[in-house]
Amino acid sequence: MADDISTENTEVVLDEAELEIDDAVKKKLGVGFWIAITWLVLVVGLALLAPVLPIDGQNDVAAGGRLESPSMDHLFGTDGAGRDVFSRTIWGARVSLSVGFIAIASGLFVGGPLGIIAGFFRGKVDAVISFVFLSLLSFPSLVLALLIVNSLDRSLRIVALVLGILAIAPIGRLARANTIVFAEREFVQASRVIGAKNGRIMVRELLPNVLIPMSALALLGMAVAIVAEGGLAFLGLSVKEGATWGKMILEGADPRTLRTGTHVSMSPIMVLFFTVLALNYAGDRVRSYFDVRETAF
Amino acid sequence: MAEPLLTVRDLSVRFPTTRGVVQAVNGVEFDLEEGQTIGIVGESGSGKSVTAKTLMNLLPRTAEIDGEVMFDGRDVRELAAKGEDHFWGVQMTMVFQDPMTSLNPVKRCGEQIAETLRYHMGHDKKKAISESIDLLERVGIPEPAKRVAQYPHELSGGLRQRVVIAMALACQPRLLIADEPTTAVDVTVQKLLLDLLDDLRKERRMSMILITHDLGVARGRCDEVAVMYAGRIVERADSHSLFSDSRHPYTDALLRSIPRIDQPSHTRLDPIPGRPPELINPPVQCAYAPRCRFAQRSCLEEIPEVSGVVGMHSFACHYPANTERGEAALQANLDRGETAGGLHLHAAAEGAS
Amino acid sequence: MAGSGLAPLRDRPDVLLRVEGLVVEFPVGRRDVVHAVSGISFDVAEGETLGIVGESGCGKSTVARAIIRLNDIREGSVMFEGKNLAVLKGEELRKSRPDLQMIFQDPISSLNPRRKVRDVISEGLKVWGSQMGAWSEGRIDELMHAVGVDPKFGDRRPHQFSGGQCQRIGIARALAMDPKVLICDEPVSALDVSVQAQVLNLLEDMKVRYGLTLLFISHDLAVVKNVSDRIIVMYLGKACEIGAADELYEHPRHPYTRALLASIPEPAPTVEVSEGDIEGELPSPINPPKGCRFNTRCPHADEICYEDEPQMEAVGGDHFVACHHPVAVSIDV
Repeated sequence: MADDISTENTEVVLDEAELEIDDAVKKKLGVGFWIAITWLVLVVGLALLAPVLPIDGQNDVAAGGRLESPSMDHLFGTDGAGRDVFSRTIWGARVSLSVGFIAIASGLFVGGPLGIIAGFFRGKVDAVISFVFLSLLSFPSLVLALLIVNSLDRSLRIVALVLGILAIAPIGRLARANTIVFAEREFVQASRVIGAKNGRIMVRELLPNVLIPMSALALLGMAVAIVAEGGLAFLGLSVKEGATWGKMILEGADPRTLRTGTHVSMSPIMVLFFTVLALNYAGDRVRSYFDVRETAF
Repeated sequence: MAEPLLTVRDLSVRFPTTRGVVQAVNGVEFDLEEGQTIGIVGESGSGKSVTAKTLMNLLPRTAEIDGEVMFDGRDVRELAAKGEDHFWGVQMTMVFQDPMTSLNPVKRCGEQIAETLRYHMGHDKKKAISESIDLLERVGIPEPAKRVAQYPHELSGGLRQRVVIAMALACQPRLLIADEPTTAVDVTVQKLLLDLLDDLRKERRMSMILITHDLGVARGRCDEVAVMYAGRIVERADSHSLFSDSRHPYTDALLRSIPRIDQPSHTRLDPIPGRPPELINPPVQCAYAPRCRFAQRSCLEEIPEVSGVVGMHSFACHYPANTERGEAALQANLDRGETAGGLHLHAAAEGAS
Repeated sequence: MAGSGLAPLRDRPDVLLRVEGLVVEFPVGRRDVVHAVSGISFDVAEGETLGIVGESGCGKSTVARAIIRLNDIREGSVMFEGKNLAVLKGEELRKSRPDLQMIFQDPISSLNPRRKVRDVISEGLKVWGSQMGAWSEGRIDELMHAVGVDPKFGDRRPHQFSGGQCQRIGIARALAMDPKVLICDEPVSALDVSVQAQVLNLLEDMKVRYGLTLLFISHDLAVVKNVSDRIIVMYLGKACEIGAADELYEHPRHPYTRALLASIPEPAPTVEVSEGDIEGELPSPINPPKGCRFNTRCPHADEICYEDEPQMEAVGGDHFVACHHPVAVSIDV
């Protein structure tokens, strides 16, 4: 009897041909995505390899002179102190990228779980966490940054931490909103009916769904953090030691420097611009790539 | 015989997509006379809604449309090309499945009907509102004077659909296209809505195209029924003969597969195996062949032409059900244990049904 | 207790699930309460299929979700194997879960879009680890085969399957828990007509193969009749009529049951089509009518219907009606 049943049912099993069609639709990330990734790999690679690359030290004064225009000797020219801008841009990437990465990582690791917990449990837990998010968003971010950096010290860690705190609320709120949407879905109820514990439901069912919009925002946020470091630098509150893109732009923006050598600020600005653009574009592509079509035909 | 109100000839609709061209509607033909109702029955993806939207000029610009649609001697596709405004919504209107898609949630029901009247009929505001109240009363909405001032979300699903019907009838259309008008409501409400549409149609000598996936609705409410499958009309007949003496194996199988209220409980159902085909680059064969119990080699080699008596009972099948030819084909398949399309058949199961 | 009577409860040793005086309420706003289910009692015997039919807002899905404890129960008991599921909490509740499984209405939404279907099906076995017997690929293959999805497609994600196939996968997920009771909440209403029969037949087969007891919720009268042994007709949080499937459709006694049977596009031959014309709107469940809840729309309602709530009473072997004026039916043979 049992055998009869199973053979009858396999009759209606879809045959392979029906599914092949779907393979033909495989989405592509596109050439743009790969160009963006190549740029990012290049920037990160150069930053990592800075100590072993044949470039000037970040504070070395190059032979030649001040505010020299780009040439074969100095690809991006020299700055007001006669330092090689190209070398300093690479050294600066180390700080700027670290700040961006650490800031967003802390935003993801703190904001993400908090948001998922708030959205999953709702009620009082949600009220408390949402209030924290709201407070973080309401407090003037620049003032917060000023306060912390001023009262502690201007090390890379502290600057990154400050930007990380600022990233918690936006990422957390996005995670919460997405969790609420997915928690309503029947597959989450199905998991509960099966007997999965709350932790498992959050990790196995909700996280994979919430992670995609969250990481897209994180890539965007990294761009924001890199720019924000520049902002802090403008106020003289960025990392004390060494070159950062923010500091370089600031130095280059000095009126006297600007008059003769726009390349001093333009070089880090362009690198920053392309890096942020690449991050944004890659983030956007990643999001739509994972945006699965949920309707069957 | 009088000229039909609507004639559709060789209507085809294609949508170019990134995956290829979707052949949503393929050579659809039918006539509709004044005061008559034609039902278009089919499953999702059969092309029934696309057909309706084509008539209503509601398809996106990317759609490639071929064929001829004549309404009372006027070429509907030409009207669309010329941007004629006072045709759709006046001569020809449509009621959708979900009333909330046709109602603006932030506007009072009365205003929405009145707007239609003012735009198309040129009524002044006062006249439009008073006529809206009459219309609401006509579609059986209690306390119409109060309802005109209410917002859609304040009404139940059944009442909302009545408001939509009132809106569709505002300009005394000659053709009403109802696309699954009762799918979103309960059975008791469904009956009342369908009764209302019936009454209105008779009262105004209006023609109606009723699109539904519910065979029972089509049987009970239509003069003629067209069954669509994979973009084609596979069978068309007056509703009595379509359901009692169906020719196309798909219609036949569909009727067998649905549970019936007059069968005892635990009656084994006779499902249609597989699922509808893809509409992108379909092979040159009868679209139903892979699921068909009657399928022979020729079904996989050519698309069957429409045969039978066009206008009476027509169908597109090489081996129609309930005919000698069809029964012979089925018997041959049963003897072989499978159809030409590779579908396994159980002789025993057939005997039981 | 605001009950519609305990008469339909049977005193049989093979009763597997016994629901008594079930009340489910949801707060809305500050003060109001939606009376979703107001005192419903029924039981399901082992191997039986109980159908619950009614229109939207009648509380049929709420009953299902309360039994499986996706909703909290305000009052009443749900007895299953000597335990009252209604009062279980925390870990105890979780431990009771595998025995009662559910099939959801929307097959696509009931599967996690980011997980492979093989993982979806095996999730329960992984949650329970050794307690459910050894987890093996072989077991998953067997389940997939049983529900008619080729195991070689196990690595695909839900959006690559059709609605009917997704529903099969949902059934396999439930079966993996080796449940005793399977609650099906409108399992075929999101499916195309031609696919509905496949899934209904599958459920019947799985019931036999795995020795299941079914609770089948649907708004479709023909579908409910096809799968059920016994049927409850619900209206506005109350049961109107309970009876053996064939008997209930053959001799409907409650005016509401008759209205339903007369309203469907192809009305049952046992009722007059005009009986389907019930007036008015479904009253608000926040403020349901006193007395019989159907009194605002019932053609037979008189004083007593506005005063007293009718209790379930036997009107034949296994046939109970909660109505002061049950419609007389001629029982012809």
